[in-house]
Amino acid sequence: MDKKYAFKTAINKNVGLIFKVSSIYTNNKEDRNDLSQEIIYQLWKSFDSFQQKSSLSTWMYRVAMNVAIQHLKMTKRIVSTVPLNEQFLNFEDIDNSEIEKKWELLKRHIDNLNLLDKGIIILYLDNKNHEEIAHIIGISTSKVGTKLSRIKEKLKKQILKS
Amino acid sequence: MELDDYKNTWDEMGEKVEEKQNFNPKILNKMSKSKFNSKLQKIAIPEIIASIICFGSAIYIGFQFNVLNTVLFKFVGVALILLFILLPAISLYSVQQLYKSVDINKSYADTLKEFTVQKMKFYKLQKLNITLSYPLLALLMILVTKLFGKHTNDENAYFMIFGFCFGYVVLLFFSKWVFKKYNRIIRQADDLLNELST
Repeated sequence: MDKKYAFKTAINKNVGLIFKVSSIYTNNKEDRNDLSQEIIYQLWKSFDSFQQKSSLSTWMYRVAMNVAIQHLKMTKRIVSTVPLNEQFLNFEDIDNSEIEKKWELLKRHIDNLNLLDKGIIILYLDNKNHEEIAHIIGISTSKVGTKLSRIKEKLKKQILKS
Repeated sequence: MELDDYKNTWDEMGEKVEEKQNFNPKILNKMSKSKFNSKLQKIAIPEIIASIICFGSAIYIGFQFNVLNTVLFKFVGVALILLFILLPAISLYSVQQLYKSVDINKSYADTLKEFTVQKMKFYKLQKLNITLSYPLLALLMILVTKLFGKHTNDENAYFMIFGFCFGYVVLLFFSKWVFKKYNRIIRQADDLLNELST
């Protein structure tokens, strides 16, 4: 299969993942769009290194979250390299949808977590099991369990406060 | 919002995005080309401008060295040249460290550890820069009166006293505010590193 076609199929299947990671790690739509572009570009660059030892989404999460961390260093310093009307994806419809309010609330709560907890909760919300979370994050499965219960407690407290 | 609602919102958002999008891979080639140019943009412009000013000042003092006729002025001149080289060097080094690219295939925890260590280093270097601004300001005041002061000694003294006081008050408030912010960031980074290593 043509590499570009295979890549296009992979992205189309996991575009939600890219949107969600980009959105959680940024504070505004411009940064989110920049980050989603950067994630796709980095995924493309390392597409050959994906050896199907893990699932596609596991590999994509690992790359996307690492790129998001890298992007945190660059925010506010780098201008977008591709004009907005020529982006890989267009999230305008989502930005004006009804779900956006709920999404913003969720984002606000997750934003109060530190970067490690943020990474874990993203994967938990995406229904990854403890082994997969441990594999992507690079910590032990038992630590994932402990961390998750603490994060849930923190989030519950935040929900009660809000 | 309950925890279960989180999951529903998460899933709903994913579905919503997926039904609306169609990835356009044609831009990939264009992006590969523009990435090359963006490497230059990655170097922070404010840091470069500030560094040029500092290096320029060091060169200027070097050229005016023969005007500095006493041991004290010569000492001040040398110290200022060193500070004008050291300060931007620290700044450029810390920015360059920030832009070090990470291996995106590493685990998230490893990337986070590296990022946190770099972040702590960056803020510690920034603190050092601000601390060095204190002697820089004092030495600068002495040299400015020598190089540009064409007035009587009394007027020079007034200028120095006023300049010192004003500069130090501004610097004191600025550094107090910035240090408080930096210390909080360093503390948080330290906590995260502890969490990652246990």
